[in-house]
Amino acid sequence: MSELLGFWIASLPQLLGGLVVSLKVTGVSLVIGIPLGLLLALGVQSKTRLVNLVSLLIVEVGRGAPALVVLQFAYFGLPSAGLTLTAFAAAVFALAWNTGAYTSEIIRAGLESVPYGEIEASSAMGMLRSDTLRFVIIPQGLRVAAPPLLGFATQILQATSLCFAIALPELTSNAYMIGTTSFRYMEILTLAGILYAAICIPATLAVGVLEQRLGKHAL
Amino acid sequence: MMNLDPDTFKMPQARPFGQVDKPILRLEGIRKVYGAHVVLDDVNLTLRSGEVVAVIGPSGSGKSTLLRCINMLGPATSGRVVFGDLTIDEAASPTTQQLTHLRRSVGMVFQSFNLFPHMSVLRNVSLPQERVLGRSRKEANRRSLELLARVGLEDKADQYPARCSGGQQQRIAIARALALEPQIMLFDEPTSSLDPELGLEVLAVMQELARSGMTMIVVTHEMNFAETVSDRVIIMADGKIIEEGPSKQVMRDPQSDRAKRFLKAVKDR
Amino acid sequence: MSSEIFLGVARGIPLTLAVTVAAFVFGAVLGLPLCAMRVSKFASLRFVALGYVVLFRSIPPLLLVFVFYFGLGSGYIPMSAFQGVVLGLGLIAAANMSEIYRGALSAIHAGQWEAATALALPVRSAYLDVIAPQLLRVSLPSTAGYAVGLLKESAIASTIGIADITFNAGYIARMTYQGLPVFAIAAFFYIMISLPIAALARATDKKLRARLAL
Repeated sequence: MSELLGFWIASLPQLLGGLVVSLKVTGVSLVIGIPLGLLLALGVQSKTRLVNLVSLLIVEVGRGAPALVVLQFAYFGLPSAGLTLTAFAAAVFALAWNTGAYTSEIIRAGLESVPYGEIEASSAMGMLRSDTLRFVIIPQGLRVAAPPLLGFATQILQATSLCFAIALPELTSNAYMIGTTSFRYMEILTLAGILYAAICIPATLAVGVLEQRLGKHAL
Repeated sequence: MMNLDPDTFKMPQARPFGQVDKPILRLEGIRKVYGAHVVLDDVNLTLRSGEVVAVIGPSGSGKSTLLRCINMLGPATSGRVVFGDLTIDEAASPTTQQLTHLRRSVGMVFQSFNLFPHMSVLRNVSLPQERVLGRSRKEANRRSLELLARVGLEDKADQYPARCSGGQQQRIAIARALALEPQIMLFDEPTSSLDPELGLEVLAVMQELARSGMTMIVVTHEMNFAETVSDRVIIMADGKIIEEGPSKQVMRDPQSDRAKRFLKAVKDR
Repeated sequence: MSSEIFLGVARGIPLTLAVTVAAFVFGAVLGLPLCAMRVSKFASLRFVALGYVVLFRSIPPLLLVFVFYFGLGSGYIPMSAFQGVVLGLGLIAAANMSEIYRGALSAIHAGQWEAATALALPVRSAYLDVIAPQLLRVSLPSTAGYAVGLLKESAIASTIGIADITFNAGYIARMTYQGLPVFAIAAFFYIMISLPIAALARATDKKLRARLAL
C-alpha cells in the first residue's frame, strides 16, 4: 500500500501538470464557447433566413459530430487547407464549437423560460426589442441557464481527455505515458480518475446548490 | 397614503368629460380571424378624452383581444386605429417610430402584472423611462418615486416584486405604465388575479386616476366598478359589441336579450 | 474526393454500430436495477446506487475504457478491445439510464400510484402492469437522446484499435494526407446515422401514445 502511495506521489507532478492543461483548455473553450452559445441561441431564432440557416448548421454539426472527430479534423485536417493549429489551439477550436452548439440549446431554453407576459409588458411600453432582450430576457434567461451550464462545464473537462488523440499533454495523455513506461496502468489511471472526480463531483454538488438558490428571485 | 392630487399630478388630458371635441381614439372595422374562428367581428369604437369606458362580457367575447389591437400587441386582421394624427392600418406593418409613439401614449396594465422580477421596484418603474423617453437615471428615479408615492408604495422602492403582495404589484405596474405619461390607459382585467381585498386597493387607485381625468378603457368583471366609476359601458359577446351606452343605463336596463342574459347571470351569483 | 476514401471510412460503420448497440443494451439493462436501488426504501441501497451514479458520471469515458483495456487488461483479466470499450461505456450508460428512468418515474403522475394502492394491487403487479408501460413511453425521448450521445462516444473505440468510423478515418487521413475531407466525411456519417434513431424514436413515441392513450 505504501509502495502504491509512493508511486502515486512520484507521478503526481506530471499528472497535475496535465490537469492544468486540461483546465486551461476547458477554461478557454468555455470562455469562447458560451458567448458563442448565446449568439447561436439568438441566431436560430432570427427572422433573417441567412443568419437562421448558418446558426442552425453550426449547431447541428457541433452537436452531431463526435468531439473526437472534430478534434482530429482540426488538428490533422485543417493543415491541408493551409491552417496549421497547435494541439492546444485545435483542442480549443473543437471544444469551443462543441460548447457553443450544446450551450445554445441550454441558453435557448433559459431565454424561453422568461414569462411571455413580461415581454408583452415591455412591448406595450414601447421598449425596443433590443432593450427587451438586454434588460429583461437575457438577464433572467442566463440565470435559469446557469446551473445546466455549470453542469456542462464538467462535461467539457471530461471531454479534454479526448485530446489524447491529438497529442495534447493533458491529464489522460500524461497518465497513459506514465503507464507505458511503468506498465502500472491500473494504478496510474486510477489516480487520474481520482483527480477528475475530485473536481467533477464537487462541481456537480455545486450545481445542485445553485439550482436551489436561484429559485429565490423568480416570481 | 395615496395622494392623487389632480393639480400636481401632471395629466396631459385633464379635461372634464363631455367637452365636444375630436375623439382621442377611434377603432374602425376591427376584425380578427384565426383560421376559421372569428375572434373580433367588425368592431367600431370611439373614445373621447377623459372618458372612462368599461368593457364587460362573457369569456371568449374578444375583450382582451380588442385591447391588444389598440396598442398593436396582437394586431387585428383588418381595420384601422386612429389616434390623434396617427392612423394605423392593422393589417400593415407600422414603422418602429409609429409603434413607439403609439405605445408611449397608450399605457397598459395586465392581469398578471408582468413586473420584472429581477429588478427592484424602483428600477421597474425607471427603466422604461430611461430607455423609451431617454430620461437620465436621476430624473427617472425622481419621477418613479413620485408615482410610487401616489399609489402609496414609495417605501417599497428598493424591494423586489416577489416581496410584494399581488395588490401592491399591480399598483406598481400601474405606476410603471403611468411613468411614460400616456394619454390613454388600457386595463386588461386588472383585478382578476387578486383576492377581493387586494383588488380593492387597485380599484381605489383606478378610481382616483379616473377622477383626475385620465382616459381609460377597462376590461373587467368588476360590475360595481363598471356601474359607478366608468362613464360608459360596452358589453361584448362573440366578438361583437352587443350593447353600449351610459353605465347606469346599460347595467340597470339592458336592451338586447344577450346582454340581459349576461347581466342576469352576473347578478344572480 | 474519391469514392475509395468514402468507402474506406464507411467500412467502419458496422463496428461503430456494434459498439453503440452493445454499450446501450448493457446500460439500459443495468440501469433498471440501479434505478430500483436509487428509489429503494433501504438507505444503504440508495447510498450505494447514488455513489455509483455520481462516480461514473464524474470520470471521462475515455479514461474508464483505458482502465479496463490497459489497466485490467494488462494481466489481471483477459480483455479484448471490444469488451473493454463496451464495459467502459456501458457502466457509464447504466448510470445515465438509471437517472433517465428515475426522472420518468417521477414524471408519472402520483395519482397512478394512489389508484394502484387503493385498488390493493400487489406491488409487483403495480410495477409491471401500471408503471412500467408508462415508464417506457415517458422515458423514450431522453433515452433516444442518450442513444445518440452514445453513438458519438463510441468513437472512443478508435483509440484502442477498433476499426470503427473514426479509426478508419484516421488511418486513411494518414495514408492520403487528406485529413480535411476524410474527417468531414466521418462527421457526416455520424450525423447521418443519428437521424434514423431520432426518427425511430419519434415514430415509436407516436405509436405508444396512441396505444396507451397518454
